[in-house]
Amino acid sequence: MRFRFCGDLDCPDWVLAEISTLAKISSVKMKLLCAQVLKDLLAEGIDYDKVAKLTADAKFESGDMKASVAVLSFILSSAAKHNVDSESLSSELQQLGLPKEHTTGLCKSYEDKHTALQSKLRETSLRLGRLEAVSWRVDYTLSSSELRKVNEPTVQLKLQAQGAESGSTETTVVSISADKFRVLLTELKQAQAMMNVLQ
Amino acid sequence: MLLVLSDEYREHLVFLPKVEPAVVVEFGRIAVEFLKRGINPKIYEGAARKLNFPMETVQHGVEGLMFLLTESSKLMISELDFQDSVLVLGFSKELNQVLLQLYVDNRKEIRSILTQLAPCLPSYHNLEWRLDVQLARRSLRQQVVPMVTMRLLLATDGGNNTSRVLQTDPSTLLHLIATLETALAAMKTNHARRILRNIK
Repeated sequence: MRFRFCGDLDCPDWVLAEISTLAKISSVKMKLLCAQVLKDLLAEGIDYDKVAKLTADAKFESGDMKASVAVLSFILSSAAKHNVDSESLSSELQQLGLPKEHTTGLCKSYEDKHTALQSKLRETSLRLGRLEAVSWRVDYTLSSSELRKVNEPTVQLKLQAQGAESGSTETTVVSISADKFRVLLTELKQAQAMMNVLQ
Repeated sequence: MLLVLSDEYREHLVFLPKVEPAVVVEFGRIAVEFLKRGINPKIYEGAARKLNFPMETVQHGVEGLMFLLTESSKLMISELDFQDSVLVLGFSKELNQVLLQLYVDNRKEIRSILTQLAPCLPSYHNLEWRLDVQLARRSLRQQVVPMVTMRLLLATDGGNNTSRVLQTDPSTLLHLIATLETALAAMKTNHARRILRNIK
């Protein structure tokens, strides 16, 4: 059976198994659990004590607790990933056996945070070597050991970027003469114009 | 298979018959704890003070027991072989029974601890990917070049993750997928099935 929220693929077996675990807690508690899981997905931190309290009534062991957090995480992030609207999500979850009240609660939470989730996922998408900071300085060289009167301006540019493989900040310092800098600026302005066309 | 115990080793354990069996059981428990969590020298001092033995003797005794347990668990020797090996040490029958019980109770756990000592190659941890289209570059405009960029995260010994950045065009990616699927399909051949059946 193909499900849109799984990206038009079969639903994983573990999700099917854990949906029946989810059905054991009340729908009100499940809505609160969804709120906690959404906080975790939006990197606002999850409060595991609250989760433990919510699942205590249904006598969940730690394994069941982790499983329910995992399955909610999967459903919400996967639905946001494939841009599923909440009615389709609701009908697909009911097909998988999640009771109606639980499904409506889940889909309401999903709908509320849909855009926020998608922008968070967009932010965390793979990007190599993000530029973190740029600083510059213009110097005027008066004289040097080679020539007494140099009288040339130079730009010193410091780029702080994340290393592509390591992920830690790497600093590059370049000094550019006036002509070369003009070429660089023109080329970058052309690239910027092209990006604006696509925006 | 019998364990070969050197003379030096026997010397280390020579004080065990002189103490009560309850103390030997306690030493055995300490030895297993040390195997699980690492050696804590303060326990040696405490035990030495209580029993009125020099600390070195206590240390040798506990380490001797640890060696006995790890060697027998490693070689997975039968209870009979264990008893015969221990007979060589010349302990009382009661002491031999105590040691045998210690071995049998903790064998499984010690084996699982020993499996963690095996060298470990970097293994798959996570794969992030991105599909891009290159539209223009400084030297050439009006292009359409699709590319898939991937970051492969590998987990190595000691918990550090190494990452590798790879880039490929879609046709190479399809070839990669086909190769990996052939590898998976190799598990389903008759040859592989025969071997798996025999291992089980």
